[in-house]
Amino acid sequence: MKNEWVYRMSGNLRIRIVGKGLERLLNEFTRRGIYVWNVRREGEHSLTCYMLLRDIRHVRATMRKSGCKLYVLERRGAPFWLKASWKNSGIVVGLVAFMCIVFLLSNMIWRIEIVGANPAVEHTVRQQLKKIGVERGALQFVIPSPETIQRTLINNMDTVTWIGVEWRGTTLYCQVVEKKQPTQTKSNTPQHLVAKKKAVITYMFVEQGQAVVEVNDHVVPGQLLVSGFIGKEGQTEIVPARGQILGETWYKSTVVVPMKTTFYMLTGKKRETHYVRFWSWKVPFFWNHKEQFSTFEKQVDEKTFRFLTWTLPIRYEKVVWREKEIAVREYSYEQAKAVAKQIAREQLQRQLPADAIIQGEKVLHETKENGKVKVEMHYQVIENIATPQPIIQGD
Amino acid sequence: MIGKWKNKMRQWLTNQMELPADVVADLPRITVIGHIHIYIENHRGLLLFTDRELRLLLKNGQLLVKGESFSIKTILPEEILLEGKISQVLYLEE
Repeated sequence: MKNEWVYRMSGNLRIRIVGKGLERLLNEFTRRGIYVWNVRREGEHSLTCYMLLRDIRHVRATMRKSGCKLYVLERRGAPFWLKASWKNSGIVVGLVAFMCIVFLLSNMIWRIEIVGANPAVEHTVRQQLKKIGVERGALQFVIPSPETIQRTLINNMDTVTWIGVEWRGTTLYCQVVEKKQPTQTKSNTPQHLVAKKKAVITYMFVEQGQAVVEVNDHVVPGQLLVSGFIGKEGQTEIVPARGQILGETWYKSTVVVPMKTTFYMLTGKKRETHYVRFWSWKVPFFWNHKEQFSTFEKQVDEKTFRFLTWTLPIRYEKVVWREKEIAVREYSYEQAKAVAKQIAREQLQRQLPADAIIQGEKVLHETKENGKVKVEMHYQVIENIATPQPIIQGD
Repeated sequence: MIGKWKNKMRQWLTNQMELPADVVADLPRITVIGHIHIYIENHRGLLLFTDRELRLLLKNGQLLVKGESFSIKTILPEEILLEGKISQVLYLEE
């Protein structure tokens, strides 16, 4: 009687026994420990009952001796149920495969939409995307996050100012802001060339127009350099003045460099934990925790999965801890001075147009106070100082 | 002679020590629940089973249960649980 239910679930049979001496047979069963239940007499020579599947092979000898016949009417319990489900497994497999395919297709890029770019820029954006594996048919959880894509695109392309990348379902949506390239075409409207800043002219090349100043002249901002009026007096003609006027200009910059700096440095050691998130429940499934870092930088990467139009509540999350270390850098006075000079030069170069040349530098002043070195620099720069000024003609 | 003496001894023990009779004397214990269930312990085998009659062998004699639409719920070497509509329970002396 114990665990009857378990016994029965493990597979049982409804059987019919036909023959003479059925009572004797039942007694024999009980003696041999063959468990039968729900015995019902059907007629003088037949009865039905249930028995366990595992007993059926022990019954055979007894049956032969008694001369009765046994018929199986019904098969019940887990083993038969499993057998039946194996028969139907084709449907199950098909269903699972279908779900898998829909899941994969839901997580694919179907379209890359680029807005705000002209065809040429759009083409380069597409090529850049392709280079990092973002193209139609790529799986969303294989490719980098939109933020990363955005950063790489902006860094790799010099024709755009900014690109916004985001997911809209299965579409990757890129909003491009193009750089306004200055039109380098020759302007045909009448113009003068005037000085941009205070300078001493070192070189002049006038393509068109009438030069007003000479080499070694000192000019102030707004001063006329090349006039658009040419020809003799009375017969003047107005032309767009063009040319290259190089002048020596001066820049001053002050840089302060601390002699002792404390900063954090990544040591390159890291530990990672991979989580599967079900709603807000995080389950780590892979990690390499050996040590806990005292100072670290934490980075969380999250990937979501989609099914048709829904975002699944199951996500993948990767957390990386990178070890940080405090590093102290100390400069001697000379070193600090050299660094300051270098910084100053770099700062200046960043602010100058590409074709400008730094001709000379001078240290104007240097002091050391409160552990900091302060350097004041003076630079002589040769650069183009001409800028066009349209001639607006009154009636 | 010895058997008789043994039986008397048993009876005396049951009376004196207030032990249940079925334990000491190897008698059947029969539990009847209304007229739907009958549970018999300490039987000695099945003699006859139809849907209106059940005959069991006991140590001394037989037990006859009559009724309608009988079915054996459980049958073990010494126990039997019968279900149906029970109308009579009879002892048949040998």
